[in-house]
Amino acid sequence: MTTIRRFCCNDLLRFASVNLDHLTETFNMSFYMTYLARWPDYFHVAEGPGNRIMGYIMGKVEGQGESWHGHVTAVTVAPEYRRQQVAKKLMHLLEDISDNIDKAYFVDLFVRASNIPAIKMYEKLGYVVYRRVLRYYSGEEDGLDMRKALSRDVEKKSVIPLKRPVTPDELENEKSFIANGHLADVREQSLRLWA
Amino acid sequence: MASKFGLAGGIPERRVRPIWDAIDSRQYKNALKHSASLLSKFPNSPYALALKALILERMGKSEEALSICLNAKELLCMSDSFLMDDLSLSTLQIVFQRLDRLDLATGCYEFACGKFPNNLELIMGLFNCYVREYSYVKQQQTAIKMYKLAGEERFLLWAVCSIQSQVFCGHGGEKLLALAEGLLKKHIVSHSLHEPEAVTVYISVLEQQGKYGDALEVLSGKLGSLLSIEVDRLHLQGRLLARAGDNAAAACTFQKILESCPDDWQCFLHYLGCLLEDDKSWCNGSIGEPVHPPKSVENLSHVPDDMFDSRVSDASIFVQKLQTESRTEPVRGPYLAILELERRKYLHGKGEKEKLLNAFEQYFCRFGHLACFCSDVEAFLEVLTPDEKMDLLEMLMKSSASLSMGPTRSLGQSLTLQKMQEIIGNYYKLPASELEGFAVKMIDMYCRILPLSRDLDLQEGMHGEELLCMVSNLLVQLFWRSRRLGYLLEAVMVLEFGLTIRRYVWQYKILLLHLYSHLGALPVAYEWYGTLDVKNILLETVLHHILPQMLSSPLWVDLNNILKDYLKFMDDHFRESADLTFLAFHHRNYSKVIEFVQFKDQLQHSNQYLVARLESYILRLKEKAGSIEEEECVLESMNCGTQVLELVSETSCNSLTFNEDLQTRPWWTPTSLKNYLLETCEELPCCSRESLLKCRREWEVNMQKIIQKRSFLPRMIYLSIRCASNSVKENIESNGSIDSSVCLELKSLLAHYADILGFSLNDAVEVLVEVSDGRKSLEALGSNMVDWLNLAVFYNAWSLNSHEDGHSGGDGSRPAWHIVTAVLEKCVLHKVRVLASLVCFPGGDLPMLVQMIAESLAWHHLVLQSYVQSWLPCGKKKKKAGPADQSSPLLSHMVLESISSLRATLQVVAKWLREQIDRTEGETLDLCLSSVETEYEEGPGQVFRILKDFISSASEAELGDRIFQALKSWSPEEVARKIVNGQHKILSEFLQICNSKMKKLEALRQQI
Repeated sequence: MTTIRRFCCNDLLRFASVNLDHLTETFNMSFYMTYLARWPDYFHVAEGPGNRIMGYIMGKVEGQGESWHGHVTAVTVAPEYRRQQVAKKLMHLLEDISDNIDKAYFVDLFVRASNIPAIKMYEKLGYVVYRRVLRYYSGEEDGLDMRKALSRDVEKKSVIPLKRPVTPDELENEKSFIANGHLADVREQSLRLWA
Repeated sequence: MASKFGLAGGIPERRVRPIWDAIDSRQYKNALKHSASLLSKFPNSPYALALKALILERMGKSEEALSICLNAKELLCMSDSFLMDDLSLSTLQIVFQRLDRLDLATGCYEFACGKFPNNLELIMGLFNCYVREYSYVKQQQTAIKMYKLAGEERFLLWAVCSIQSQVFCGHGGEKLLALAEGLLKKHIVSHSLHEPEAVTVYISVLEQQGKYGDALEVLSGKLGSLLSIEVDRLHLQGRLLARAGDNAAAACTFQKILESCPDDWQCFLHYLGCLLEDDKSWCNGSIGEPVHPPKSVENLSHVPDDMFDSRVSDASIFVQKLQTESRTEPVRGPYLAILELERRKYLHGKGEKEKLLNAFEQYFCRFGHLACFCSDVEAFLEVLTPDEKMDLLEMLMKSSASLSMGPTRSLGQSLTLQKMQEIIGNYYKLPASELEGFAVKMIDMYCRILPLSRDLDLQEGMHGEELLCMVSNLLVQLFWRSRRLGYLLEAVMVLEFGLTIRRYVWQYKILLLHLYSHLGALPVAYEWYGTLDVKNILLETVLHHILPQMLSSPLWVDLNNILKDYLKFMDDHFRESADLTFLAFHHRNYSKVIEFVQFKDQLQHSNQYLVARLESYILRLKEKAGSIEEEECVLESMNCGTQVLELVSETSCNSLTFNEDLQTRPWWTPTSLKNYLLETCEELPCCSRESLLKCRREWEVNMQKIIQKRSFLPRMIYLSIRCASNSVKENIESNGSIDSSVCLELKSLLAHYADILGFSLNDAVEVLVEVSDGRKSLEALGSNMVDWLNLAVFYNAWSLNSHEDGHSGGDGSRPAWHIVTAVLEKCVLHKVRVLASLVCFPGGDLPMLVQMIAESLAWHHLVLQSYVQSWLPCGKKKKKAGPADQSSPLLSHMVLESISSLRATLQVVAKWLREQIDRTEGETLDLCLSSVETEYEEGPGQVFRILKDFISSASEAELGDRIFQALKSWSPEEVARKIVNGQHKILSEFLQICNSKMKKLEALRQQI
């Protein structure tokens, strides 16, 4: 029973029981609100009967030329609603928007190399490990950059795995506004963006 | 822009870049060095100065930064066009903003725009300034100016959003919206619209004016086709149709959505609401969703019976179709829909109980194994009578027994059945022995299924984890009924056991932290709270689990940290919020602009935020109350208390918001003001949704009262100190009152305060008099003695300086001293007696005792200090020259008596505290453990025994290494020790407060 709709600010006041889960990070406000302000179509919530929050997905679209792509920043489902394909539905929605509205080449996401259940789920959804990013998570754990090609990438070039692992510095995308899940000072950034 | 020509603020970019790089990498000293060399070359460049100010501000040198900024501003205002660029201005703006001087930044831009009225970049900067200041009218005017200059769609929309912001804030209504509509229409004629968000805003402007037909026309026309997500477009269409009253067409639209999204529950409810014409959710006029929306539709349909029947049957056919078509998908919506249809029929008086129960049963057979079954059906249970609920339960149990299925599915179902009993409230009716039986069965089941989780990752939820919550809930209920402490300890043991096996279960932690708080081991509760990693916005929704207990505890250091963290989060957000709103403007997501503005409002009116600000003032007063000089400094920093009064009246108590997520609280404390374990009433606790809602409403109303009451404290303390000192001066200078305004103001506050307690001031004082002389018992003061004690303290201070005290005798004696001393003594000693009878667990009475000492007694101590101080001639010992002792020997006697009574009272408290602390750890541990380690066949200890037996017989092969090792590491002694240590810590902190007060009182006595 899933009503999927755009995430709105008030949902931040209702997602405590999803975010108290230790694997779900509660970011600072400017992080959520920057996503809402910039990519509202990439931030959705799944709601069950009684207006309970089942889970949500947040993401963005970014990149240049053939690396113009959708990115899944976070996807999470409350324990009560797991194993009901909620994450799958949310991921499909994001893929649809990347594919049909923003005409992106692929969708990517990062996952802890040790998070086997999640990796398996993403594989089931059609994602492949494109490359390993060394010590991506707080300089300790490796991350896997997983990708799924969209219809615009006819030859599926975007998902041909890289042979060697990369370091976080080499990630071209993360030079963008939001780096590695941490938002720099918005004011400062905005100054430089407009400068 | 300057940088395009390789110049930044008139300076070559290569010279500026190293400064920015240094700032970005936080090497401020380095940045300062670069800045110095830049300034030597460009000493009069506003940009170079602004950069220096930026660095200094980051280094914490605010004053220096401000003075440089002002200098730069001056230069800028004198400069020619070459230096008046956006980069210099925006850099200055950043520093001004960080220095909380938005007005100066706006002034810079206003000046620049006045000088260069056609420079779009500068006007955009000015617009940004107004966004930061939430000046919607000026935003609107500035956006219109940009629109006229550039003719761009986005500027028009900026203006429209600014208009909508004004409307949402209650300033101007229809006229403004009509203006927005007119502007948009005119633009559409000449340029059309190109952004989907612009169309959405256009439609919302029409919708807000009730022009649903026009809005629908736009939606179905060329502009509507810009909304490329079909489902979103249909949702909008359905809503507009419903609000226009065209229910049939709206139902058709929602039907269309359901055909592609059969699982969309909200949409199904809208569909049915339109079909049966009973959905009132469209009528409230708000666009945004409420934070806590109602769980189900409760309105009755008004369509005639025959029409009702035919529409319900249409809906049934449609639902059947959805079921067939979505058979391969994991959807629950079309199945729950049957239940909803039966419920609506039932509400309409056309349903049959049998059918409704059957619908429940069918849904159970299909989805009863899912963890979300109970939350799915919760709202449906409300139409059933208690007996019907029991019938339902029986039915579900029977059908569960008859179904054959795999082990995990069957496990899921039996968990659901147990949860259902909890929701239905069945447990509250059972005799204790049966309850105990259930608890035993559940813990046994938990142990039996533990092997199923042997291969699961530590991060993954384990099978049957919720059983431990249910067991502990039952045990707490057994305690509530029997007052046998063993049950409570058993509940703690069970949850601690669960956390030993998997340390991530937040549900256990929340239950535990409330149990520990109740057991008087607040430090342990605080520790568990810490492991929940509550941060950012969760502070607003989850902090209520710990904040109220901390507020009345002696753990001032921890409390200070909690308040600081929370206030920092909120204040940071308020500071950033406008920038984020501008980001939404900038990225043309106009609908988010309004959302952000409303959200900031929602948080700014948060009751918890107000409480936190208020209590951080009061905490400072409590900390410094031992010394009147220090207290006066604290009071001065809050403008003699008026700052606090203004704070509360500004955030008008009627518009407070309540953002706390109360759903995660344990059954026995549904709000922070309710704790069933402290009550001995026979009444069932509120477990139904209706009574929970009532509880919530009560909490909201009471919080408003509490906030008002507490907001008077700082000012009343200040005025009391003044009154006390004035009274002495008055005696000295017999020419009458020195400053009657102090007295008058205090009296008016006292009257307000008494009014909140539900009395006129005279009546309230009468109550205090009667309690003080024993004509009335303490019960007359009701549950919150601290409020009454405060009233007594401040009343006494007022009466010292007043000539209208009806209770003072004509002989000049001031019995108000007696009243406050006697009532304080009575209340404190009463609490100590109650606590002493609780053997080793102070439980819920300790916080009030702490408040009596740390607040009421402390305020009275201040009055005494003030009185004595002004009695003594400055710099001289009283012995040398004491007009006071000649003029009022009686008064000096009263003061001495009051001091010695306070000391005696504190001594009793301190003695009791010392006894508790000195009790050997072993003794308390034994007491603790022996209450759960019993050999009896009933009473506390049954569950504990099963756990112990299970651990001793556990096999590594069956459970796997991780679980096995965890089991073995669980130590009940450790848990008991934690409780004892936690209590010790809190009692010691309290003792320290008492000791320090006694010392100070002794010093005061010696002064006389």
